[in-house]
Amino acid sequence: MTPLSVKPVASTWCPGCGDFGVLAAVKKALIEVQVPQHEAVLVGGIGCSGGIHNFLEINGIHALHGRLLAQAVGVKLANPKLTVVAAGGDGDGYAIGMGHFIHAFKKNASILYIVMMNETYGLTKGQASPTAPIGFEGNVEPPFDAILTALSLPAHNFIARTFSGDPKTMTAVLVEALRFNRANQGYAFVEDLSPCVTYNDTFKDWRERVLDVSKLPGYDPTDRKVMFQLCLDTMEKGKIPIGVMHRPAPKTTDSADSLELKLLPDRIGPAVTGIELADNLAAYDKLIKSVT
Amino acid sequence: MTTPATQTTPIAADSLPFGQRPPKELTDLAVLIGGQGGDGTLTVSDLLGRYFRKRGLHVYTSRNVLSRIRGGHADSSIRASRDPIAAMKAHVDLLVAFDNEAVQIGQPELEPDALILYDSSVFHSDLPNALGFPFATLAGSQLGQPIYKNTAAYGAISALMGFDPATTRQVIEERFKRRSPEALEKNLKALEIGRKAAMELPNAHDRWHVSDGDAHNQILTIGNQAVALGFVVAGGRFFAGYPITPATEIMEYLMRYLPPFHGVVRQAEDELAAINMVIGASYAGARVMTSTSGPGLSLMTEGIGHAGTAELPVVVADCQRVGPSTGEPTRHEQSDLAHLAHLGHGEFPRFIIAPGTLEDCFYLTIDAVNLADKWRLPVILLLDQALCQNSATSAPLDLSRARIDHGKRLTEAELAQLTSYKYYQFTDDGISPQVPPGTPGAFAQVTGNEHDENGHVSVNPVNRVRMMKKRMEKMVHARDDLPLPQYYGPSGAKIGFIGYGSTWGPIREAQELLALDGVPTRFFQARTLFPVQTHTLAPFLEGVEVAYVVEHNYNGQFAQLIREALPQHHAKLRSIVKYDGLSFRAPDLAARVREAR
Repeated sequence: MTPLSVKPVASTWCPGCGDFGVLAAVKKALIEVQVPQHEAVLVGGIGCSGGIHNFLEINGIHALHGRLLAQAVGVKLANPKLTVVAAGGDGDGYAIGMGHFIHAFKKNASILYIVMMNETYGLTKGQASPTAPIGFEGNVEPPFDAILTALSLPAHNFIARTFSGDPKTMTAVLVEALRFNRANQGYAFVEDLSPCVTYNDTFKDWRERVLDVSKLPGYDPTDRKVMFQLCLDTMEKGKIPIGVMHRPAPKTTDSADSLELKLLPDRIGPAVTGIELADNLAAYDKLIKSVT
Repeated sequence: MTTPATQTTPIAADSLPFGQRPPKELTDLAVLIGGQGGDGTLTVSDLLGRYFRKRGLHVYTSRNVLSRIRGGHADSSIRASRDPIAAMKAHVDLLVAFDNEAVQIGQPELEPDALILYDSSVFHSDLPNALGFPFATLAGSQLGQPIYKNTAAYGAISALMGFDPATTRQVIEERFKRRSPEALEKNLKALEIGRKAAMELPNAHDRWHVSDGDAHNQILTIGNQAVALGFVVAGGRFFAGYPITPATEIMEYLMRYLPPFHGVVRQAEDELAAINMVIGASYAGARVMTSTSGPGLSLMTEGIGHAGTAELPVVVADCQRVGPSTGEPTRHEQSDLAHLAHLGHGEFPRFIIAPGTLEDCFYLTIDAVNLADKWRLPVILLLDQALCQNSATSAPLDLSRARIDHGKRLTEAELAQLTSYKYYQFTDDGISPQVPPGTPGAFAQVTGNEHDENGHVSVNPVNRVRMMKKRMEKMVHARDDLPLPQYYGPSGAKIGFIGYGSTWGPIREAQELLALDGVPTRFFQARTLFPVQTHTLAPFLEGVEVAYVVEHNYNGQFAQLIREALPQHHAKLRSIVKYDGLSFRAPDLAARVREAR
């Protein structure tokens, strides 16, 4: 069916922004895993990156600052058939949204969360974000590391870090993450290093420092302890570890760990179940009569 | 309505000693049971409630607990009456005290001829109207555990009040039959221990006789349960919340009720997550609700504004308690209204709907869910601690009065007839036809940024004005959809009451007390608080010389809203406010009106 809705608007990002790489990779990945266009929902955060849903022909909800994960989980649990991608910046996810960031791993709903990480608040003109190095814009606090945090939270999650300077690998990782979600395996978190060319242009620096951990001896993405150590060792050498950091062994439907299957084993969600009175009258009558 | 306390049968033989008097007939009585948290005061109240209901009486109970799990003073009150009741009585006929603190706290509440029944194994009282029974010692020595003291107390009360012995025993059997046979047996023994102790005491037993009533076809519920039931029947299928007194029971009931209906209940990590999870689920097409109280409401405020401008239906049940900050978590107040009427930064439409009775809690929750869905905006279901948590008998809930209104939700066939689909399409009534995401051919682009009809971010000044009007004028277009007030009392009365929520009970009783004095009054029970219902309030105010706006806050918040909307009636409005954490009592309300005359 030809979409009745209008075309997406032109992007508002600065030329050369790392987020263009994410936009392209998301598009390619959705096509590759053959998500029906009307069944994809993109939940955007607040900040430059959060506008991403406006630039795609897709269902989109532009959340409140820091709250995109809560809204994305709500969408997924209301209709588990939808493929839900949340995408925002590191200020949105790791500062104002930190509570939800941690809980998303624990909840383990099968949604994909992409953080476009650039160490700065671009939209408000370049303040330090939680990932900013010491010295950046007067920052005196050590940077937050999302991958180490994610690895420390025991859950059946897919965890990866990618780099906008390598869109091919990024697309492959997003494809894998989406397949993980669509198999109702659980939550997928991908941090993409996505430089802000205006306030913190780290393209050159990061290109030199990124290190694909899958090429290192001992790489085992099923073992959190090994991966935590591998990441720490890489960081101590001044490098930035990228690649798939956690890829748990698949679970069968019977042993599913994802929130939506635990709550809705038959995959019929609150948004698509019948709510007409006539269809429920007998059950309602029983419920009402249970109050004596 | 209620027969006031002063109407119990007068006794001529008051000068006779207890044992020689005929029992005093009680048609409306109150028992206060106090002790330390964990003493089982709620158990005594529950047992009495079961007895009274079996005898066809209406029952109203409230509890006074501190915000802690065990310990600290806790008391439960129970009132029973031949007539429907929705408030506590002004005074207590019987005080059951498990410690001396309960006597200190309860004494000012007592009727002149009230009795104090106390546990003499814990303390001694010299008060002339105090009867000591060593409940804990008796239960401990004869049953091995002092915990049966509350059932023993129930046994003693049954003797004092001349309960029917068979019904008294039946209550214990029903209450404890699901526990172990040993628990049932020990509780039956405890009942006899207490009963025997009271019967052996000269002058104590059969002091009163409680009249039977004819209220047999009643349910016992709390507002929070009725709200949960209403949500399910309204097609509500997604709920997220965070535990907070006095709202938590809504979530707990829904955790039991929703799963068989493909519903989801999530206890979120905080209120920010709760409101945003329901926003996400609402976007996906589910009928949603969250519930909270003052502190949580403050955290949800940004989200509610987001729902208002993104035009996503959400119902927020606000169970008001004493605020601000942590305030008094377990105490009663109605002080969130001003905040809710002006909720959030910026401007967005909202309806504030306020049930006043347990039945209202059920039917108005259904209305709230329909209104949110049809008008695509946040609806606040405004409750208060007394309404949420005090249990009372109520008429059974009637499913035939329920309805589902989807508003302008499009079917796939209707969608196929369209040549374009705009999520925020301009229409005469401000409601844009909708399909949820997941429907082929139509994309839902939603944002809290100002947006154009397609849901794309826009700062165009012409669009901004049209969009603001589209949203804000829903509050005008929806006028005839909003719950109407209920009126009580003769229409010609020159004295008016205006109130909402749990003030319904005290106001209705105060009306009866005043009517006995020959003072007719008319009561406007507001059920839609915002937008202020000028089309019903103005004629009401025109008909009275003075209107007392009764509410639980310092500023007279509802009166202020009415004044703002109807300045021409400013001089007729008088505030009766109470903000000590406790509910109004009818005689106090009646006295305030008498004083003013």
